Amino acid sequence: MLRFFVLIGLVVVIALIVRSQMIPESFGDLGHFRADAVEEAKRFEPRHLGRDVCADCHDDVAALHVKDAHARVECESCHGPGATHVAADGEGGIIRPDGKAPCLVCHQLMPARPSVFAQITPEDHYRFVGVEDPEVDCIACHDPHEPLFMDRDLRTARLHPLIHRCRDCHAGRTDETLVRPPGHPEIFECDYCHADIVDGFAERPHSEVRCTTCHLFFRESDFAGRMLRDSDPRFCLLCHREAEFRSDDAPPGIDWPAHREDMADDTIDLDKRCVDCHQDRIHPLQTRTAVGSEE
Amino acid sequence: MDFVFPNELNVTWTVMIVLYPYITGLVAGAFIVSSLFHVFNKTELKAVARFSLASAFVFLLFAPLPLLMHLGQPQRAFNIMITPNFSSAMAGFGFIYTGYLIVVVMEIWFVMRHSFIAQAQGSGLVAWICRSILIGNLHEDDSTRAADHKMARFLAGLGIPMACLLHGYVGFLFGSLKANPWWSTPLMFVIFIFSAIVSGIAVLIFHYMIVAKLNGWKLDQPCVRSLTRYLWGFMIIAVSLELLEVMSIAYKQTEEWEVLYMLIREKLFIPYVVLQYMVFSLIPFFLLGINSLFNLRDRIANAMVWTAATMLLVQVLLMRWNVVVGGQLVSKSMRGFTDYFPGVWEKEGIAMAVVIFTLPFGILWGFNKIVPLFPDVVARGGTTGEGE
Amino acid sequence: MPHDRNRSRREVLKMLAAGSGLLVFPIGTLTASEPEASAEGAHKPYWAYAVDTTRCIGCCACMRACRDENDVPEGVFRTWVERYRIGMDGEVKVDVATGNDHVFEPVGGEVAKAFFVPKLCNHCEKSVCNQVCPVGAAYQTDDGVVLVDSKQCIGCGYCVQACPYGSRFINPETHMADKCTFCYHRLDKGLAPACVHTCPREARLFGDLNDPKSKLSVLLRQRSYRLLKPELGTHPKCYYLGLDREVI
Repeated sequence: MLRFFVLIGLVVVIALIVRSQMIPESFGDLGHFRADAVEEAKRFEPRHLGRDVCADCHDDVAALHVKDAHARVECESCHGPGATHVAADGEGGIIRPDGKAPCLVCHQLMPARPSVFAQITPEDHYRFVGVEDPEVDCIACHDPHEPLFMDRDLRTARLHPLIHRCRDCHAGRTDETLVRPPGHPEIFECDYCHADIVDGFAERPHSEVRCTTCHLFFRESDFAGRMLRDSDPRFCLLCHREAEFRSDDAPPGIDWPAHREDMADDTIDLDKRCVDCHQDRIHPLQTRTAVGSEE
Repeated sequence: MDFVFPNELNVTWTVMIVLYPYITGLVAGAFIVSSLFHVFNKTELKAVARFSLASAFVFLLFAPLPLLMHLGQPQRAFNIMITPNFSSAMAGFGFIYTGYLIVVVMEIWFVMRHSFIAQAQGSGLVAWICRSILIGNLHEDDSTRAADHKMARFLAGLGIPMACLLHGYVGFLFGSLKANPWWSTPLMFVIFIFSAIVSGIAVLIFHYMIVAKLNGWKLDQPCVRSLTRYLWGFMIIAVSLELLEVMSIAYKQTEEWEVLYMLIREKLFIPYVVLQYMVFSLIPFFLLGINSLFNLRDRIANAMVWTAATMLLVQVLLMRWNVVVGGQLVSKSMRGFTDYFPGVWEKEGIAMAVVIFTLPFGILWGFNKIVPLFPDVVARGGTTGEGE
Repeated sequence: MPHDRNRSRREVLKMLAAGSGLLVFPIGTLTASEPEASAEGAHKPYWAYAVDTTRCIGCCACMRACRDENDVPEGVFRTWVERYRIGMDGEVKVDVATGNDHVFEPVGGEVAKAFFVPKLCNHCEKSVCNQVCPVGAAYQTDDGVVLVDSKQCIGCGYCVQACPYGSRFINPETHMADKCTFCYHRLDKGLAPACVHTCPREARLFGDLNDPKSKLSVLLRQRSYRLLKPELGTHPKCYYLGLDREVI
């Protein structure tokens, strides 16, 4: 019996000695884990490097990018991680988005998307701007680095109280012509404050255009957002540029270079914006004088 | 009701983790039967006392195998003893298992020392093995026999709480997970222990009757009758507890019941409601009840008891399946269920499960070659074990 | 560059504190990633995460970025975006863009309410996964990040079962537990987690709770938020702004 107990005792003692030798180094230094693991976890190289790294080579694109609607979108959100591209001195290793699909990843109309976010279905959008060829890509009109030709930096845009519209809550896109049911809280539609502008709007050629289509609104908190008035000619041309893939009638196409030459012939100031001549087709600009124009 | 968190589409704990508590349950149950004889002097169980101890031992040897098969990094298995994190219920496994294994090995050594010495005489492989087991000490007289007996009794007593711990801890491991509504109940610990005892007694009856039939032995009828009554009693407790668990959730009608009701109605209706309760609990309940309350003719009684025992073996397996797999079918989103059924030839598939479950029986056969597990039967030339 | 950004934020914050009643986040501060703020400071950062569900557009750039940054195999997710569509009859439909490119397809049908909810590891203060790891492979750093030691993990899957949020999984390539690390390898290099970095809508925010001036701390003081499954006592560190009651 003694031999048996000695044997079992020996096995246990050996097991305990082996066990104590096998505890990894640094185990227990910071808690019940291998302290070295923390440093090991930091060792991987980041693959998404950030726009500042991109700007080292692509400063022209970066400069365009920061002042337009995609200002907050990181380069790598669309182009994928840049580490391989940088390591290869700019040879490959980067995604070049192609076709409509990459744009629609964000901008496809979905009820789950916040209604303040710009979203379309290609069919409706193309009908709206008169594009006849469904194969046309988004980049035929929109440069993804400068999608809306905003004429001022988003950061310097005016603060504006939040506009609540029906579909902000009713994301199912209920018909906006529905009357407000009794007892429903007040909704701040644009005409609530800007009735003088909106009054004649329905009779003018832009009656189908939503206010926020041109007056881009960026919600920033529960209370306010940034309101932009875009009047760069290129912004108007997003809809009105004459192109082989779109119909002439709706919206009317303009042969921009020719129009510009005409104006030059008529000795009109080429810094003028479209709205300076065509405001009667949009809405009266009487509430505030347009920036930079002294009528 | 169809949303599953994307990482839950694949079930993490497979049929191997169903098998593990099943096997430890057999260990605990079989060990408790042997202890009923060694500690509580239930002499009618003498016929299966050795057999049950040896069964507990071989099942215990194979209990970690399904775990090793399941581990993603099996070569690191000993981390559980090298750097155990005692805030985790699982960290106890290594120590509880090793401690219990030592107790069972010692118990076998002391209970069977007499037989080992008998077999160690002469030459040949068996004798050599027995001499190594005895570490060369073949001395035996009345005083050593008395000491062995005392030691065996002490170890058998010590083994009962350890068996409960080894198996109950598995129940605790499930029952203590607050993330899973199907598992999270303190009853789990107790349910596992009682179902373990049921499966342990059932496997002894199942195996004993088959061995007896194959060898043409007459069954030790008082022993069988005693086992039958134990099995009936313990299965009533086990099934009551299992029902109590689900009934209390159902009656409380808490938020989680909505998803668990769907689980029982849709996903587990066949294995849980129909098979575990209606078929494999109810039928053995009646079969064993009849045999516990009435004296039937041996032939009929034995057939009924064997059927009941076999069915209860399946019942406990189903219970393990419904707990382990069932709990993982419910998404933690509480909005849907995933699916799982093991493939046959996978690393953690059915074939492997069958192999792992069959191996202990083979080892038991080998064990019997070294030391006879039914000494009384063999000693009488295979006639009978009557008149103990 | 980081220094400039910090300075500008501080100035703006001072300005705000000086009495401007307007509760508005200057855009410049929102674009800044947080980590560098504390790397320079003397105090220890304590990282946390916020998700503004009212901003998420479900583009899943975060999922793609996470996959690319951390080599996450197909079929398992360190982060994901759930789409909830609640019908007029109150029926809730939820799905996840689990495909190869992680892109949501538009689906028809009228909805009363619909929104996206990004999910990831909550890096709980009292994380269950740490508690249940039998070998000390799951741990929490002193800056509040829950990590897995890939040299210690045995791949038992207990942590996967214990996590109430489905954030952990067994990596099919390494056969070990895996999860969101808050991109721990980026933090000390002054970079935000890849998902925060690539989110075009700043629906995902990351920052230092120990710094009362951090974007995250300010945000949590100003807006109401919810935690996921707070009743489980895990003390999650992902704060959900504007979260609907249907989300668990």
